[in-house]
Amino acid sequence: MNGGDIALDRARARLFEPAGLDEAAIGRALGELAGGGADLADLYFEASSTRSWQLEGGRVSQGMFAMRQGVGARTVHRGEVRFAHSADIRPGALLDTARAVRTLAPGGDVQRHSPGVALSRRTAGHTLYPALDPVAVTDATAWIAILERIDERARGQDHRIVRVDANVRLTDTTVLVADADGLLAGDVRPMTILSMIVIAEQGGRRARGQAGLGRRAGLDGFDAAAIDAMVATATRMALNNLEAIPAPVGEMPIVLGPGYPGVLFHEAVGHGLEGDHHRKHLSAFDGKMGERIAAPGVTVIDDGGIPGRLGSLGIDDEGTAPDRTVLVDDGVLTGLMQDRLNAGLMNARSTGNGRRQSYAHLPLPRMTNTFLANGQADPTDIIASIDRGIYATEFDGGQVDIVTGRFNFTTIEAWLVEKGRLVVPLRGATLIGVGHEALRHVSMVGNDLALDSGMATCGKQGQSLHVSVGQPTLRIDRMMVGGQAS
Amino acid sequence: MTALLTHDEAALRDAAQWAVEQAAKRGARARASVRHEGIAKTAVRDGEIEMAERSGSQSLGLTVFHNGRRGSASTAGFDRAAIDRVVEEAMLIAAHVQPDPDADLPPADRLTFAGPAPLLYGDSPRSAQAMLEAARALDRITAEIAASDSRLRAGESVALATEGLWALATSDGFCRTALRSNDARWTVMLAQDDGGSISDFCQSQERRIEALIAPETLARDAAARARRALGARAVGSRRCAVLFDPRTAATLIDIVAGALNGASQYRRMSFLPDPVGRCVAAAHLDLREDPFEPLGLASGGFDSEGIAGSSRAILRSGVVEGLFLSSFSGRKLGMASTGNADGYYNLALTSTAESGDWAAMLRMLGSGLVVTHFHGGKTDPASGNWTQAVRGFWVEGGEIVHAVTDVTLAGTVPAMLAAIRTVGRDVARIGAIRTGSILIDDMQLGGRA
Repeated sequence: MNGGDIALDRARARLFEPAGLDEAAIGRALGELAGGGADLADLYFEASSTRSWQLEGGRVSQGMFAMRQGVGARTVHRGEVRFAHSADIRPGALLDTARAVRTLAPGGDVQRHSPGVALSRRTAGHTLYPALDPVAVTDATAWIAILERIDERARGQDHRIVRVDANVRLTDTTVLVADADGLLAGDVRPMTILSMIVIAEQGGRRARGQAGLGRRAGLDGFDAAAIDAMVATATRMALNNLEAIPAPVGEMPIVLGPGYPGVLFHEAVGHGLEGDHHRKHLSAFDGKMGERIAAPGVTVIDDGGIPGRLGSLGIDDEGTAPDRTVLVDDGVLTGLMQDRLNAGLMNARSTGNGRRQSYAHLPLPRMTNTFLANGQADPTDIIASIDRGIYATEFDGGQVDIVTGRFNFTTIEAWLVEKGRLVVPLRGATLIGVGHEALRHVSMVGNDLALDSGMATCGKQGQSLHVSVGQPTLRIDRMMVGGQAS
Repeated sequence: MTALLTHDEAALRDAAQWAVEQAAKRGARARASVRHEGIAKTAVRDGEIEMAERSGSQSLGLTVFHNGRRGSASTAGFDRAAIDRVVEEAMLIAAHVQPDPDADLPPADRLTFAGPAPLLYGDSPRSAQAMLEAARALDRITAEIAASDSRLRAGESVALATEGLWALATSDGFCRTALRSNDARWTVMLAQDDGGSISDFCQSQERRIEALIAPETLARDAAARARRALGARAVGSRRCAVLFDPRTAATLIDIVAGALNGASQYRRMSFLPDPVGRCVAAAHLDLREDPFEPLGLASGGFDSEGIAGSSRAILRSGVVEGLFLSSFSGRKLGMASTGNADGYYNLALTSTAESGDWAAMLRMLGSGLVVTHFHGGKTDPASGNWTQAVRGFWVEGGEIVHAVTDVTLAGTVPAMLAAIRTVGRDVARIGAIRTGSILIDDMQLGGRA
C-alpha cells in the first residue's frame, strides 16, 4: 500500500519532524498564501534522497549521495500564477515563502489578516507501487556486484566490446500536497534506474549501444534475467551499429518496433493534447476535438495508473488521482490532459496530469504513461508488407514543435528492409513528420503492445520527468527519413 | 547587498570550510562547494501576468578522498546536522568503492589561491517588481509590433534575473568565492497565414541589465524571424551547400567542444579520439578559449577544483592544441588539468578564409540551404554520425527565395569540420560561444523529392 495515511505518516516523519512543522503551521501558511484572494492556492512539499554507483573501466570507483527538501508555494488568480520556493521549510520560513508569493501581486499585498486553513480532506491509498525507500539500504555490496556482472557479461559477449559504463541510481521521494480547499495528501515514490552504455570497435570504426531498466522498486525488482536481457540489448545494438551503413534519404514506408518507438505518439500526439497549449490556442490540434485526426485503428491512451511504471502516480503533484484518458479513440480526437490551472480556466476537470520536476518547478499538464493501443496485425506480416523502407526498433528521444505539429526523432537501431526482409543495419537517421499527417498514414497496427524499459523521460519548459511510452509494432506508409546516403 | 541573495559570502565560506574540516577529522582530504542562487522571473502575455516567481536555492556538495578512494554527497541544507550527514554519506561511499589512483585532489601548487578573477557580477535592479516592469514593457512593445501586421500574434514576454554566490574550499587551504549575476529577456512571436502557424523568439542574456538588447530590437527581431518563416516548404533531397546561421553554428561548436572534453576522451566516447596534435578541421579555422573576459557568460577565475583556466588555442589552423580537462580526466589521459572541471569557458571560432557579413555569406553560399533552427536530432558521440531536422531558407544566386521546413541534414561531424569553407563576420555571442555563420560546401539534405 501507498498514498493515503501511509504516505502522510511518511511525510510527517521525513518533512514535519526535522523541520518542526505540523498541520496547524501548514494551515496558517496556506491561509497567508490564499489570503490575497486566489482561485487556487497550494503548497507542495518534497523530500528526496538519491544514491548512485558508477562503473567505469571495469571498476565501481565512484558513488554519490544527494538529499534535498523544500516547498513550492503557488497561487492562481484569474489565470495569473504567482510562485515562490524555498529549501527551508521550518514554520517561520514557510510563512515567509507564502508572504513572498503575496508580494508578487502587482503593487504587493501583505497587509490583510488571513485565517488558517483546516486540512480535513484526504486521498485514498493506492497499490501502484510500494511505499519503500530504496536509498535506506546503505550497503552497496549487492548493487556493486550487479554492476560488475554487467561489465563482465557485456565484455564476454564479444571481443569487439571495448568499453562498458554502467550506473545505478536509487531515489526515494516523499511528497505532500496541501491546498486552500483543505486537502492534505501524500505519496511515496521509490525509483531505481539501472543503465549502461557500451562501445564496440573494429578496424577503426566505433559504435555505441545503450540500454536500461527503470522501476518503481528496490533491488528485488531487478532479477538476473532482466539484467542479462539489458546487457544483450546494449551489446547487440553496438555490434549492429558497427556494421551499419548510411541510412537512405527521402520519403518511404517505415515499420516501428514495439515499446520505446511509441515515443512517436508521445511527440506527435501527446504534447499537442496538453491542456495549456489548448488554452493558449497554440496547439496544432486546437479546435479539432471530436474530429478524425488519425487512421481508424489508432487509439492513444494516457494512463497514470499502470502498476510499477515510472509514469504512474498515486496522486499527481496537485493531489489529484490520475485518470485513464483516451486521447484518440479509433482515430478520433477525444481527450486532453489537464492540470488544475488549465482545467479551471477551460471549464474542464483535472485529469490528474499536473506534474512538476520538483518543488522548485511549477506544475504543468504533463503525460504519464502514453501508448498506442494494440491492433490486430501480426508483427512479422507488418515487416513482410514493406517493399523498400526501414524498420526502427530503438530511438534516441524526439522533439515536437507544438505550434506546427512538426516532430522528429532519431534512430539508434534500425534496419533497411527490402522485399519484406531485414537487409542491413542502418546508421542513425532522423525521421520527421507532421503529427496529424503521420497519424493518417498509420496503415497496420500490431498485436504486440509493449511499454518502454523504464528509461523514457520527457522535457517541457525546462522540466524533465520520467514517463512511459509504448506501442505495438506498426507501419506508417509515408515518413521522411533523413540519412546520409545520397 | 544584492537584490536576490539571502545568504552572504561569509555564510557560504563557513559552510564549505566546516564540511572540509569535518572530513579532515575523519582522516579524509576533501573539497566542498557551496552554491546559493536567487531568482526573480515574470512572464507577461497580452497585458496579463502569466507567471511571477521569486525564489531561492542552495546546495552544498562534498567530495572526500580517503585511502585512494572517493565519495561524493550533497545537501540542500547548510545547517550543521545536514553537513554532518553529508560527510558521513561521502565517507560511507568511499568505504564501499574500489580504489582509483586517479581520484585525488589536484596538486596544491596548481590551485589559484589568489590572483585575478574576472568580473561576473553587474549591479542592476533585479527585484520582483523590476522584472514585472521589464516583462510588461517588453510585452507592450511586442503587442504593438504584432498589431501592425495581421499575420502576427504576440506570445509571452519574459524577464528573468538571477544572482548567484559560490564558495569553494579544499583541504589544501583553498577557499575562494565568486559572485555572479545573469539577466535575460525573451519574447515570443507567432505568425500565421493560410499555410499554418509558426512561432519564433528572440532573446538576450547578459550579466548586467544595461548590456541587454533593447526591447524594441528584441520584439522586432522576433517578428521578423516569425514572418520570414511563413510559407515554408520542403525542397527535394539533394547534396548542396549549407550556411548555418550563428545560433545553429554555436550548437555545432558545442558538439565539437563536447568531443574534446576529458570525460569523453578517456571514456572513448568521442568521435575525435586521441586528437591532440591532429588536424581535425579545415586549416583556416581557429577556436580560442578565454576564461577571463570581464562579464563574459562563461568566464571564471577558477574551476570547481580551484584551478584557473587559460587564454589559449583549442584549434590552431585546424589542429587540436588543447582538451578540456579536470585533474581526474587529465590523470586518466596522462595529462595535466586545464582548469576545465566545469566544461569550457568562452569560446570563439574564427577563420582566415575569405569571408564577409551576412549578405556576403549568402552570396558565397550562392545556391543552397540556410539553417536557422535545429528542430531536433542527435550526434552519436562515438561515431560522429550527425543527423538533424532543420528549418531555414532556400537561397538562389545569393538571395533568399523561400522559407524551408520538413527537411533533414545528415553527415558526420569530422567530415563537416573538414568541409567548412569559411566563418562569417556576422559574429554573435550565443551563451559561451562567439561565432559567425558557418558555410559548409557539400552536405546531404533530405526532403520530399
